[in-house]
Amino acid sequence: MQAALFYAISAALLVSAGLVVTSRNIFHAALWLAVALFAVAALYVMLGAYFLAAVQVLIYIGAVVVLAIFVINLTRSVVGAPVTLSRRWVIPAALVSALTACLIAVALLRSGVPPGAVASTAPGAAPGAAPNAAGQDWTSALGRHLLGDFVIPFELVSVLLLAALIAAIAIVGKDREDEK
Amino acid sequence: MTGAPPSPGSISVAPITLSHYLLLAALLFCIGLYGAISRKNAIGILMALELVFNAVNITLVAAGRFRPAPDAVGQLFALFVIAAAAAESVLGLAIILAIYRRRVVVNADEMDLMKH
Repeated sequence: MQAALFYAISAALLVSAGLVVTSRNIFHAALWLAVALFAVAALYVMLGAYFLAAVQVLIYIGAVVVLAIFVINLTRSVVGAPVTLSRRWVIPAALVSALTACLIAVALLRSGVPPGAVASTAPGAAPGAAPNAAGQDWTSALGRHLLGDFVIPFELVSVLLLAALIAAIAIVGKDREDEK
Repeated sequence: MTGAPPSPGSISVAPITLSHYLLLAALLFCIGLYGAISRKNAIGILMALELVFNAVNITLVAAGRFRPAPDAVGQLFALFVIAAAAAESVLGLAIILAIYRRRVVVNADEMDLMKH
């Protein structure tokens, strides 16, 4: 059951990811991106990372994809007209991608990760297992880390997001004043 | 997946290991890389980059989950990656929109103002 679910989600993820990068219509590509991101959220659920799955749906599908669709609609005059996307360097891109795949495969084989030896802690074998012996679940452990030993990166990320927000307003808003 | 552990009587399927997740993430990374190189549209490039980020996140979460003593640090790193990706996406789309307003281009190879 677990394996069948994993293969189904993986197939959906890879097919939709392929359509994201090959679709001729940029709007369709954005919608396939939402499907791919949802498949990744399903993988997080399979891995027991429920909070991360919720964050994935809220941030990625709810914010990033919607933002991308907004910008797609703002940067073309006629919304309904299919934008045929030209591609460049298809052969070199495929070559670089395949070589990277080989590189990662070699690194995977040469690393100390035993191919099947980790099955004992697979999600199916230890569903929702406590991340440590204290009997916490994953989400509370995540919260403990965020407000405990990782509190400084956590605050830095909030500064980063604030800076990005102000910068985005400055970049797009200043332009509008110039047009007046 | 909070169900019971696989009962001995269930059909024996090869269990999903860390290698499965790593392989899937590698494939997703390469698909995103192909898109980032071959797309001309700048929004398309950003969307391909999101696939790359997600591949990295799958690696982090799976690696954290399959450790001998699994803890939440892998999920924590993925959370930071998501925050950084959101900031990157907002800034990238804002820059694309600003360039489009000034020069009416969305293709990355036509944004050559700094070349001349």
